[in-house]
Amino acid sequence: MGLDRDFAAALAEVVGPDHVRQSPGDLAVYARDATPLFHHPPDAVVFPATTDQVARVLQLATAYRVPVVPRGSGSNLCAATVPLRGGIILALTRMTQILEVSSEELLARVQPGVTTARLADAAAARNLLYAPDPGSRTTATVGGNIATCAGGLRGLKYGVTRNYVLGLEAVLPTGEVVRTGGRLWKDVAGYDLTRLLTGSEGTLAVITEATVALLPAPAESNTGVAYFESLADASRAVGAIISSGIVPATLEFLDRKCVAVVEEYAGLGLRLDAGALLLFGEDGPLEVVAGNMVRMRKICAESGALEVTVAADVARAEALLTARRCSLPALSRLGSLTILEDVTVPRPRMPEMVGRIDEIAERFDLQIATFGHAGDGNLHPTCVLDPDDEAAVERAHKAFAEVFRTAIRLDGTITGEHGVGAAKLPFLAERLGPAQLGLLRRIKSAFDPAGVLNPGKLGS
Amino acid sequence: MIFAKPLLDRCISCGYCLPACPTYAMTGEEASSPRGRISLMRALETGELPEDDGTLAEQASFCLGCRACEPVCPAGVEYGNLLEQWRDHQWRGGRRPLRARLLMAAVARPWLLRLPGLVRRHARTAASAGGPSLMLGCAERALFPRVSRAVRTLVPGLTVPPRQGCCGALHAHNGDSAAGERMAKEFGEALPGTIVTTSGGCAAHLAAHLGRPRVREASEFFVEADVLPLGTLSVDGRPARVALQDSCHLRNGLGVWRQPRELIRAVAEYVELPSAAACCGAAGTYSILRPRDSARILAAKIDEIEAAGVDYVVAVNPGCLRQLRAGLRKRRSRVEAVHLAELLVIASKQVRPDRQTDLSESGS
Ligand SMILES: Cc1cc2nc3c(=O)[nH]c(=O)nc-3n(C[C@H](O)[C@H](O)[C@H](O)COP(=O)(O)OP(=O)(O)OC[C@H]3O[C@@H](n4cnc5c(N)ncnc54)[C@H](O)[C@@H]3O)c2cc1C
Ligand code: SF4
Ligand code: SF4
Repeated sequence: MGLDRDFAAALAEVVGPDHVRQSPGDLAVYARDATPLFHHPPDAVVFPATTDQVARVLQLATAYRVPVVPRGSGSNLCAATVPLRGGIILALTRMTQILEVSSEELLARVQPGVTTARLADAAAARNLLYAPDPGSRTTATVGGNIATCAGGLRGLKYGVTRNYVLGLEAVLPTGEVVRTGGRLWKDVAGYDLTRLLTGSEGTLAVITEATVALLPAPAESNTGVAYFESLADASRAVGAIISSGIVPATLEFLDRKCVAVVEEYAGLGLRLDAGALLLFGEDGPLEVVAGNMVRMRKICAESGALEVTVAADVARAEALLTARRCSLPALSRLGSLTILEDVTVPRPRMPEMVGRIDEIAERFDLQIATFGHAGDGNLHPTCVLDPDDEAAVERAHKAFAEVFRTAIRLDGTITGEHGVGAAKLPFLAERLGPAQLGLLRRIKSAFDPAGVLNPGKLGS
Repeated sequence: MIFAKPLLDRCISCGYCLPACPTYAMTGEEASSPRGRISLMRALETGELPEDDGTLAEQASFCLGCRACEPVCPAGVEYGNLLEQWRDHQWRGGRRPLRARLLMAAVARPWLLRLPGLVRRHARTAASAGGPSLMLGCAERALFPRVSRAVRTLVPGLTVPPRQGCCGALHAHNGDSAAGERMAKEFGEALPGTIVTTSGGCAAHLAAHLGRPRVREASEFFVEADVLPLGTLSVDGRPARVALQDSCHLRNGLGVWRQPRELIRAVAEYVELPSAAACCGAAGTYSILRPRDSARILAAKIDEIEAAGVDYVVAVNPGCLRQLRAGLRKRRSRVEAVHLAELLVIASKQVRPDRQTDLSESGS
């Protein structure tokens, strides 16, 4: 297709000719993100360096009616950054400054292209904690985290990204710059646009700066491992831990298949014969951590754990968490097409959901491994298959449709943290119902009357 | 078929490798990331991109081949192999950069490699004792003859077969894997038994073709041969402060990084550079083929070395040694770059602070 000549020239004038790419090779690499099976090249990739450049690019795009897809690191798993209708990819990877870290106000101000890990490290250097902790933290950007409202390994105790966004600077498709929220913990003037933009998946505005809340870093932390006969047993231990009044910092599980591949990658000496592994962890003052680790250990044993161990030191605890973070890519060792999904159900219904996933996998003759954030009921059933086996790919689509419907039926949702993107848009109506969907669309057109921001995604 | 399908299929585009890649750090552009380059390879394989696509050509040469993307990839993508296959295709015949062609032609001639021995005093032994033998390295014997001498000082029994060519790593990394493989095999025949090398790049290449057990990179060999203790190296009456620059292929290809640190710690105060594991920009022929990019990477490295306040920076690969020396000299730095073997010899002779050693009269 290609871009209108005048439009392309105007873009080059805004960001500089070196920062507009239009060659076939450059377009090919922006045709996909971390989501398998979705693929469509943009007509150009634009790399702005400032808010003002973002504003001018958006203004132009609206004037010329060209789709714009904002992009951080492209690590999302729902085809949120695949430019389904072409247009431009607005890559925010040049906006990477940490503008401020304040110990007194407990906040940081960053540009959108900063990775989550860099923000967390900058906070840690001041003995502060940036709590959101997605598995993709070393790669994913803060802008992408906010736009997807990323969750992560600390979700149960600390909440997800939205709990930490205090204020945003964002550019509307019309080129107007808005500053929502700010540096205050208390501020109720107006609709809460900060929350609305958090999780908006690049369909309402482009985030150009974020102010996020930090916490004092916990003095201590530790992680332990419990092995169970089955995932259902592990889920019961999770229920027992939470009913006992503990809100652990980490409560993650992996099934047998996940343990095997994670072990292959990380070589931690994990036990391979158990049906499920539960990682439990706590952070806080020394006595609290020590006490809660002992209690959780005991609860696991009483819930029928085959074996329970607690990490001997910080390095070992961190290694366990790192291994857990890489479950998805490690799973691809089983087959080169790895479709990871993301459903959440109320915690007490987790054993039932896990059972249903197993049953669905068997019925469709598929290999589905499951891991997830046990503490908040967020499951990642992951199907591993051969991409050339078209029949199996077809069966996987059908199987996942059933998984989503099952989650909805169990009072759950079709995505707990990864977002809807293009991949799950067909299921959104079932989750939200017609009235809410209609409202979503009206909100979308209020922000983006020309419909240029990330078309084919939320609000479409 | 340009690529082995299982190798290409392995990548699931998760992007875990992005933060490890030095060229992605420079540009922030997907095309210059490992994941992006794998996408380019796929597009080449399927014909979606024509062979003469400019981005393909640019990225095949912009990549350092440092393989920093390998150890961080949970899916186990063998990027180094993919890059070799890519360059085999991209750099066929006349499309190979001229300077690479000249170098490759030179090192493939054993008689030419023996010439430096006439003027430069690299290590030599008369008869082969049949034990492990020391590789002289095609570039190293000419540029840094004292490195092989240092190894022989540390391990006097080591054999140095006089007739040895080049292992072919240079060919493999510059678009001629077939020659690279053949040369490695010939090299293995010329030096039967364990081969000890002072170059991380050669070690990784030989290990790939002769099998890991036959290859011992010097630091591994020293640890196993137990050449310590050597005494503590002191500077101005205090223990010397010494940093290490990892060899990319040694660390990312063979997983060897503890041993050189252990050896340095045994003789000096070890200082970890924040980016010790990141490429210095030498990257085989990279500093010759892409001097500007190479210099950019090196500049940051030298800043770091100077900020670390060290007396020595140690390399375990001749290319890195050359690169670091050039960078330090340009800044008139007082930090000295040495090969690990040289450092150990200096320590064992304890000739500091005047830095007059029998090793210093030759070499660059
Ligand atoms: C191995 C792996 C593990 C993961 N683990 C987790 C996890 O534990 N929890 C979790 O929640 N997710 C996880 N993810 C998913 C993914 O990393 C997150 O969705 C992440 O937040 C995406 O960040 P990104 O910078 O890559 O954004 P992208 O993928 O580039 O973009 C994601 C969305 O945000 C929009 N966007 C990006 N930047 C901006 C901006 N500045 N302004 C407006 N919109 C923008 C895009 O348009 C798109 O809709 C994982 C992914 C992988 C591959
Ligand atoms: S980390 Fe491995 S699987 Fe993931 S994108 Fe990089 S090369 Fe591909
Ligand atoms: S080899 Fe080095 S430069 Fe090349 S893609 Fe991998 S990390 Fe980047």
